[in-house]
Amino acid sequence: MDVFTRKPQAIIAAVPPITSELGVDAKAGVEERSQALIRGIEHIAPTHVLWLPSSTLKQVIEHVERRAGEGAYVSLPLTREEEGIGIAGGLTLGGAKPLLIVQDNGIGNALTALTTFAQPYHLPMLLIVSQRGGLNEYNSMIHTLCERVDDIVDASDLRFFKLDERVPTERWATTVAAAWEHAQMTHRPVLLLCNLLY
Amino acid sequence: MTASKLTRLEALQAIATEYPSEPLVIALGTMVREMLLSTGRQENHLYVLDSMGLPPAIGLGVALSPAARHHDKVVTIEGDGGLLMGFSTLATIGLLKPEKLLLIVLDNGAYAATGMQRTAAPALDLRGVATACGIDAYDVATMDDLQAVLRGSRSVPGPTLLRVVIGPENRQAPYFLPDPVELTLSFQRYLAGPVAAA
Repeated sequence: MDVFTRKPQAIIAAVPPITSELGVDAKAGVEERSQALIRGIEHIAPTHVLWLPSSTLKQVIEHVERRAGEGAYVSLPLTREEEGIGIAGGLTLGGAKPLLIVQDNGIGNALTALTTFAQPYHLPMLLIVSQRGGLNEYNSMIHTLCERVDDIVDASDLRFFKLDERVPTERWATTVAAAWEHAQMTHRPVLLLCNLLY
Repeated sequence: MTASKLTRLEALQAIATEYPSEPLVIALGTMVREMLLSTGRQENHLYVLDSMGLPPAIGLGVALSPAARHHDKVVTIEGDGGLLMGFSTLATIGLLKPEKLLLIVLDNGAYAATGMQRTAAPALDLRGVATACGIDAYDVATMDDLQAVLRGSRSVPGPTLLRVVIGPENRQAPYFLPDPVELTLSFQRYLAGPVAAA
């Protein structure tokens, strides 16, 4: 069986993170950080969670879908990142409190909407952004954009905070809550760039 | 001899007359400027000053928000070029089925604000696309039909898309360049209703 007939999962499994070979359980790290993000989301209690698919945030999105089924909030799959900014902006105008979950390799799609709508119209919203690229990334196509997302967001004058290996996992949930409050307090969109992979 | 097409100004006047106190999300450029010519500045109008392609998503957000409870409809006015730019939002509208959303597309087959360059709309069956997405859709080309569908839509659960064929006429109108924060605060106060304002 060659790579063209293998299932995608099998191809991914054939390229484990380099840290796994050195005894670091990257999968456990993703699990632990996902649970911390989930605790943060439950604490802030959004009215709507708008999301695009993300392999690294898979557990978080599954949780959101499950909780939406229980009536905790509305879960809403998007077609594109900028659509999410538009819908979240409309929700905010109408008194709702939306949360967005996206990947950073789609952040380019969101920039125009963020900088011409959410930011100048002073519409608070939190984006939980999974970071790809860099160490432990398996997809060679994703580094060019994703490793520069911090710089791109900063150059766009958008406020962002970081969650990565430098932040202890026990601080992740509180950072979600604090970033949410920061968006409300400053009446601006806030991006929380989360690296679950390394 | 064929009757001349509706103008944008005539269509906007008809919409504003039929929905004088409902939320209206109005797309950028010529649409905003001609609406201001028609009605002057209104608190129930959200003027989207840029963010091409986003108004249907913004209107969708407002239609899903708590504020929509107070209104028969949330009306969004978009051009054919803008609709095509955020085309995938039709799928999201079809998925979510917001009963309050009335999306009106003024279709002149051109990008008016930038010099009447052509769009792809003449090659498409926009009503057919909307219908395929699960949206009730109508085509109108006369004032009588426009008024009838506007009136009829008020009491019919949406989502509804109304494509209005308009001619190429653009009215001279001054630029509208307020601080967007003013627009947000005004529209939010209006959406919050008289109880919140008291």
